[in-house]
Amino acid sequence: MDLSFNETWLHKINPTLKLFTMILMFIFVLFVHQINWLINLTFGALLLLWVFSGHPKKRVSLLLIPFLIIFISTSSSMILFGKGDTTWMKWGLVHITEESFYRGLHLGFRALIFATLGLTFALTTRPVNLFYSLMQQVKLNPKYAYSFMAGLRLIPIMIEEFLTIRNAMKVRGVEQERGVRAFYFKIKSYSIPLLSQSIRRAHRIAVAMEAKRFTGERDRTYYYKLGFSLNDGIFVAYLGVLILLGYYLSVVWPLFPVGDVRY
Amino acid sequence: MNRGLKLTDILVTIVIAIGFGIVYKLWGPLYYFVKPLGLHIDQLIYGMWFMAATVAYLIIRKPGVAFLAEVAAASGEFLVGSEWGLEVLLFGVVQGLFAELVFMAFRYKRFDVTVVSLAAIGSAVGSIIMDYYKGYIEDLALWNLSLFLGFRIIGSILIAGVAAYYLVKALEKTGVTNLVRPASKQDYDALDQ
Repeated sequence: MDLSFNETWLHKINPTLKLFTMILMFIFVLFVHQINWLINLTFGALLLLWVFSGHPKKRVSLLLIPFLIIFISTSSSMILFGKGDTTWMKWGLVHITEESFYRGLHLGFRALIFATLGLTFALTTRPVNLFYSLMQQVKLNPKYAYSFMAGLRLIPIMIEEFLTIRNAMKVRGVEQERGVRAFYFKIKSYSIPLLSQSIRRAHRIAVAMEAKRFTGERDRTYYYKLGFSLNDGIFVAYLGVLILLGYYLSVVWPLFPVGDVRY
Repeated sequence: MNRGLKLTDILVTIVIAIGFGIVYKLWGPLYYFVKPLGLHIDQLIYGMWFMAATVAYLIIRKPGVAFLAEVAAASGEFLVGSEWGLEVLLFGVVQGLFAELVFMAFRYKRFDVTVVSLAAIGSAVGSIIMDYYKGYIEDLALWNLSLFLGFRIIGSILIAGVAAYYLVKALEKTGVTNLVRPASKQDYDALDQ
């Protein structure tokens, strides 16, 4: 599997700054109740992902498929069962109103923008850089940062172990049964060895780190030094302009004839 | 006795949590494929996303572990590219906090199925508060909202409460928990004899 990508300016942003800016954006979006504004913001976020992620368009498209399902599943409950006055359709328990429809759509776009920002972050940030940056810029305790980095390194080992267990059961001819008991057996026969081995391994790593004089002191040297650059400014400016321009456009050219979606 | 978290505790907690982070990520597709069945059936499996906190707490039995585990699991899920993106990170923080508060209320002295179930309910309440801000859930019709809340809480008790308890019970038989748990009063008494 080829997972290569081009480095763009999004990759060069300081990871801590990127994370905190996106969290602020997340909280800001929670207070946006105008559907037209939210749609403009979502398209701005999608544009950032599509053009600047540095990953092949095919891969980005594949990753976007679940977003569509989430969009539908998030909006459907509210559309079908939400409160509202202007009835469009009533069928048994289902009651679609104009208000619930737009509110549902709003929730769908909200899920979409969160997912887009999250994926943009995940696709353009190396976890190692993130934790080094958190230690340097916000003084995260190195005990936590290095534990995270060691933990992420263990993921491939966990996957390998999972495959080993599966193969071992196949070789020994463990029957694939159906029903609740078989499901319980399956969960147990995978989770217990995986968990216990992971705990043993983590324990060994911790002992080894302490034996090599890892103390978790904040006053230490770093192999990777991360600072700030012009790219950080561009990123913050992009989101700032997006918020203002998105609001302006939503007033001038509203897509839907509704304002606040709350009941 | 020093009750703070040592490197071993942190590392073991985070490794367990990252394992759960992968489970959380895989749980996503299951969740949204169950969702179209309607009537909030999906809420019954929501409790899986609270499990890291209770399992880690039962294994390590120290203050702060539940919160750290839930945050770490959410971070793991976020970093491998969750469909919900940033949302999971903030939900993780709130869910972990609420589970931790329940364990704190019992002064970190009880490890039975009741307390763990209460912590699971705590996480569920935390997630419902987040959904209140994010999903306008108060604007659902009343019968529908009650179904939503009821299913989420039942699901979290079953998965993050009862199932987590029995999972760790089974894990204890492997002896691996003795590596990481603090020495209990019984251990000291055994030395005196």
